[in-house]
Amino acid sequence: MKLKYLLPVFFLLLPFIDSNPYHMDVFTTAALYALLALGLNLIVGFVGLLHLGYAAFFAIGAYTYALLNLRLGYPFWVGLPISAVTAGIAGVLLGLPAVRVRGDYLAIVTLGFGEIVRIAVTNCERWTGGPNGLLGIAHPTIGSFNFGVDSRPYYWLLFILVEATAWVCARLRRSRIGLAWGALREDELAARCIGVDATRLKLLALGLGGAIAGLAGCVFAAKQGTVTPDSFDFILSVMILAMVILGGLGSVRGAILGAAVLSIAPELLRSFSSYRMLLFGVMMIVLMRVRPQGLLGRRHVAP
Amino acid sequence: MIRKSRGFLLVGFVLSAFFLAGGCGKREPAVKIGFAGPLTGDQAAQGLDMLHGAELAVEEANAAGPILPGYKVELAAMDDSRSPAQAVTVAKKLAADPDVLAVVGHLNSSCTKPASAVYHEAKMLHINPVSSNPEISRQGFENFYRVCSTDDLQGPAGEQFAMQRLGAKRVFVIDDMTTYGRGLSNEFVKAAKAGGVQVLGQEGITQGEKDFSPLLTKIKSLAPDLIYFAGMYPEGALLMRQRMELNIPAKFMGGDGLFEPTLIQLATAQAADGVYITTLGGDIHQVPSAAGFVRSYEAKYGHMGAYAAYSYEATRIAIEAIRRAGAKDRQAVLAAMKGIKQYPGILGVHSFDARGDTTIRTIGIYTVRDGKFQFLESTN
Amino acid sequence: MSAGDLFLQQVINGLTIGSVYALIALGYTMVYGIIQLINFAHGEVFMVGAYLGLAAILGFGVSHSAAGSVALLLVVLALAAGGCSFLGLMIERVAYRPLRRAPKLSVLITAIGVSFFLQNAVMLSFGPLDRYIPPILPVVRWGNGSVGVTLMQVIIFAVSVSLMVGLQLVIYATPMGRAMRATAQDPLAARLMGISVDKVIAVTFAIGSALAGVGGVLFGLYYSTINFHDGYLTGLKAFTAAVLGGIGNIPGAMVGGLVLGLLEGLSAGYFSTQWKNVVTFLILVLVLLFRPRGLLGERVAERV
Repeated sequence: MKLKYLLPVFFLLLPFIDSNPYHMDVFTTAALYALLALGLNLIVGFVGLLHLGYAAFFAIGAYTYALLNLRLGYPFWVGLPISAVTAGIAGVLLGLPAVRVRGDYLAIVTLGFGEIVRIAVTNCERWTGGPNGLLGIAHPTIGSFNFGVDSRPYYWLLFILVEATAWVCARLRRSRIGLAWGALREDELAARCIGVDATRLKLLALGLGGAIAGLAGCVFAAKQGTVTPDSFDFILSVMILAMVILGGLGSVRGAILGAAVLSIAPELLRSFSSYRMLLFGVMMIVLMRVRPQGLLGRRHVAP
Repeated sequence: MIRKSRGFLLVGFVLSAFFLAGGCGKREPAVKIGFAGPLTGDQAAQGLDMLHGAELAVEEANAAGPILPGYKVELAAMDDSRSPAQAVTVAKKLAADPDVLAVVGHLNSSCTKPASAVYHEAKMLHINPVSSNPEISRQGFENFYRVCSTDDLQGPAGEQFAMQRLGAKRVFVIDDMTTYGRGLSNEFVKAAKAGGVQVLGQEGITQGEKDFSPLLTKIKSLAPDLIYFAGMYPEGALLMRQRMELNIPAKFMGGDGLFEPTLIQLATAQAADGVYITTLGGDIHQVPSAAGFVRSYEAKYGHMGAYAAYSYEATRIAIEAIRRAGAKDRQAVLAAMKGIKQYPGILGVHSFDARGDTTIRTIGIYTVRDGKFQFLESTN
Repeated sequence: MSAGDLFLQQVINGLTIGSVYALIALGYTMVYGIIQLINFAHGEVFMVGAYLGLAAILGFGVSHSAAGSVALLLVVLALAAGGCSFLGLMIERVAYRPLRRAPKLSVLITAIGVSFFLQNAVMLSFGPLDRYIPPILPVVRWGNGSVGVTLMQVIIFAVSVSLMVGLQLVIYATPMGRAMRATAQDPLAARLMGISVDKVIAVTFAIGSALAGVGGVLFGLYYSTINFHDGYLTGLKAFTAAVLGGIGNIPGAMVGGLVLGLLEGLSAGYFSTQWKNVVTFLILVLVLLFRPRGLLGERVAERV
C-alpha cells in the first residue's frame, strides 16, 4: 500500500533531488510522453483499437493553442481546455467513419488520417505557417510568474496532468464503461450480441484519447514556444505505441513506465543514438515474441 | 499487486540512479562556443562542412595562445538535423550550459529563426554563418549577427541576371516551402514583377520528394524561358535531372542552397550543365585573404564545400568577441561584439549594421560547366 | 505543347511509376490473401532491393556497350530479386511464423518492428544521405518536342507487365500456384489435402519479395537517387494500390498500381504537387471505408 504512494511522491520531489537542467529537460519530456502514452493506452489497450495516427491529435492540440495564442491572444490556461476539447472532437470525427472498419484495416485508416493531417498542416501555410511552423507562442504564466524556459514548472504541471489522467483512466477501467471496452477488445461480435453499443464506446475512447493528446500538445507548444509539423510524424505515433506496448497494453502504470523507459533510455545511450530506431524495432519484435503483455500487462486469453 | 508495484519502483530507481550518476561528474573549467547545424540527415554534408570550418577556427585560435586567461576554448557541436523542432531543443541545451558564451549556427533559416529566439532569451551572442532569410535579423534581436548576405539581395540579383544576361521574360518559380526557400522565391517574384518579367506560376514542393515530372510537365506546357528554384540541392538535383529527361528547353537557375558539389553528382554533369546559381558571396578561391584558410582546410579535411568559409569566419569573430570581453560572461561578450568594426576576415572586411547583418553584401553568380562550378561574376 | 500532349505526357509519367507500385502491391496482396497480414515490412524489402541494385552496379561497374548494358541490367535485377527473396523468407521465418497463432495486433506490431529494423539497418550501412545510382543504360528518348517516352520508362513498364503475366501463369498453371490458391481459400482444408501450408506461405513471401526487389531496382534506376526512407512512403502507396485493386486479388494489384500511379500523376500535374500524397492517402482511407473490397475484389463476408 505504502509503495503506491511513495512513487508519486518521489517523482514529485525529483526536481529537488536532481536539479541538473539537462536532466530536468529529459524528465519533462518523459512526463509529456507519459501523458501521450496514457491517452493511446486508452484506445489501444483498453478497447483494442490499433491506432497508428495518434501524433495527429498531439499536433491538433499544439496548433490549436498556438493559433489561439498568436491570433487571438488567449493565454495558456484558456488554451489548455480548448486544445483538449478540439483534439477530442477531432478524435471523434476521424473515428466516425473508422469505427465500422475491421481491426487491421483500422490501423491503416488511422495511419492515413495521421499522414493527411500532417501534410495538410504542412501545406496550409496561411494558417499553420507551413513547414516553418509558428513561432513566438507564449509560455504559461501564473500571476506574474512566467514559466519561461526552465523545465521545472512544466514538469510539475505535467506531473499533475499525468496523475490526474492516470487516476481517471484507472477509474474508467473499473467502471461499466471500462468493462464494456474490455468486452469489445476481447470479442467484438460477442459484445455486440449482448447489447454493448460498440460504436458509441469506440468513439468515446477515441474522443478521450484524442483529448488527452490535445492536453499534451498544448503543454508542448507552450514549452517549446514554436510548433513545426516535423514534430508530429508517423515515427512519433509508432514511438508512443511502442511505449504503450512495452509497458503492457491496458496497464495504466505500464504506459507511464514504458514512456519513462523509452524517453530516458535514448539519452543514456546517446553515443548509440543512431542505433536508437534500430533497437526500437528489435525491441518490438522480441517483445511480441517473448513477452507480448509487456512489462506490466496482463496476459490476455488468446482467441 | 505488490510485486508489480515493486517492479515498477525498482525500474524507476535504477533508471534514476543511472541518470544521477551520469550527472555527477567533475566538470573541467572550460569556455565553449556552441555550434549547431545538420550533422545527420540529408544535409549532413553541408553541416559537417560548416562544422569543420568552425573546428579549424577554434584550433587555430587555441594554437595562437590563450584567448581567455586560464581557459581553453572548445567547440560544443550540436545536431539539428535540419529540423526546426530539434533546433529549438539544441538551442535550449546550449543556452542552459553556462560554459557556452556564444553560438555559431544554424544552417537552415527555418532552424536559425526559432533558435535565435532561444539565444535571445538567454542573452547570448549568436552569429549566423549562412542562413540568408532577411527576417531573422528583423526580429530586433540585439544579440544576433550574420556574416553572409541575405535573400532580399540574392533574389533580386538572380532576377537581374536572368533578365539582363539571359533575356528571360517568362519565369516559373518553384520553392521547397521552407523559411529559406519560400522567402527567397518571394524575393525573386517581387523583383521579377517590378522588372516587368512575367511570373507564370509559383509552386511549392516538399523536401524529400522525388517525383517532379508531373510538375515539370505542367511547367513545360507553359513554356517559360527560365525555371527558378529556391531550395536545397537534393531536390534541385532531381529537378534538373527530370527537366533534362522531359526535354524542357527553359533555362534553370537556383539559389545558394544548390551551391554544393554533390548537386552535380546527383544530377549528373549532363543535366547540370548550363545551370545558373546565385551564392551568398564571391568566389572564395579568388579572395587573397582566404588563400591561407583554403589551404589549411583542404590539407586537413580534403574537399571544401560552400559553407565552410562562413562558419570559419563566424567562429573567428565569436572568438574575437570573447577575447575582447576578457571574462567568462555572456553580457561582456555581447558588449564586446558591439565594438567590433572593420573586422578583417577571410571574406572581406566586416562591419555590422544595426540589425546585425554584415556590410559585405556580395552576391556571386556561378554556372556549371564540365561538371564543375564556374564563377561568372559578382554584384555588390 | 497542346493540352492533349500535356495529358499524354502525364499519363506516360503516371503509368511508369504505377508499374513500380504494381510490382510492390503484388507482394502485399499475395501475403494478405494467404495469411491476412498487412506486411508492414514489405516497403522496406523494396527499399533493400534498390540498395542491392546500387551495390551490384557499383560492384560490376557501368558497361559501355549495348550488350553489356543489357546484361548488367538483367544481372542486377536477378541479384536484387534473389536477395530480396531471401530477405522475405528470413522475415517470414524469424518474425512472422512464430506468431502464426498470436492475435493480429501482435503480428502487426512485429511487422512495424521489422520495418524499423530494416530501415535503420540500411541507414547505418549505407549512410543517411541520398545515394546516387549511375545510369546503366544510355538516355534514349522517343517522341517529339512536346511528348516523349524514355527508354527507362519503356523498360519499367515492360518488365512489370511481363513479371505480372508470369505471376499469373505461375498461379494458374503450376501445382504450386494451385496450392497457393487453395491455401488462400481455406488453409485448413488445404492442409487436409496434403498441402504444406508452411511451404506455401514461404513461397508466397519469396515471390512477393522478389517482385518488390525488382521494383526497387527499377525505381532506383528511374530516379537515380535512393534513400533509406523511400520504403516507407512508396510502400504505403503500393499498399494503397493493393487495397484499391482489391486486397488478395492479384490482377487487382496490377490494376490498382497503374490506376494509383495515374491518379497521382494527374492530380499532381493538374491540381497541385504539394497535395499529391494527400490524394493518395485519401484514396486509401476512402476505399477502406466505403469499398473495402476494392475495384476487383469479391465481397468478403464477415465470418461469424
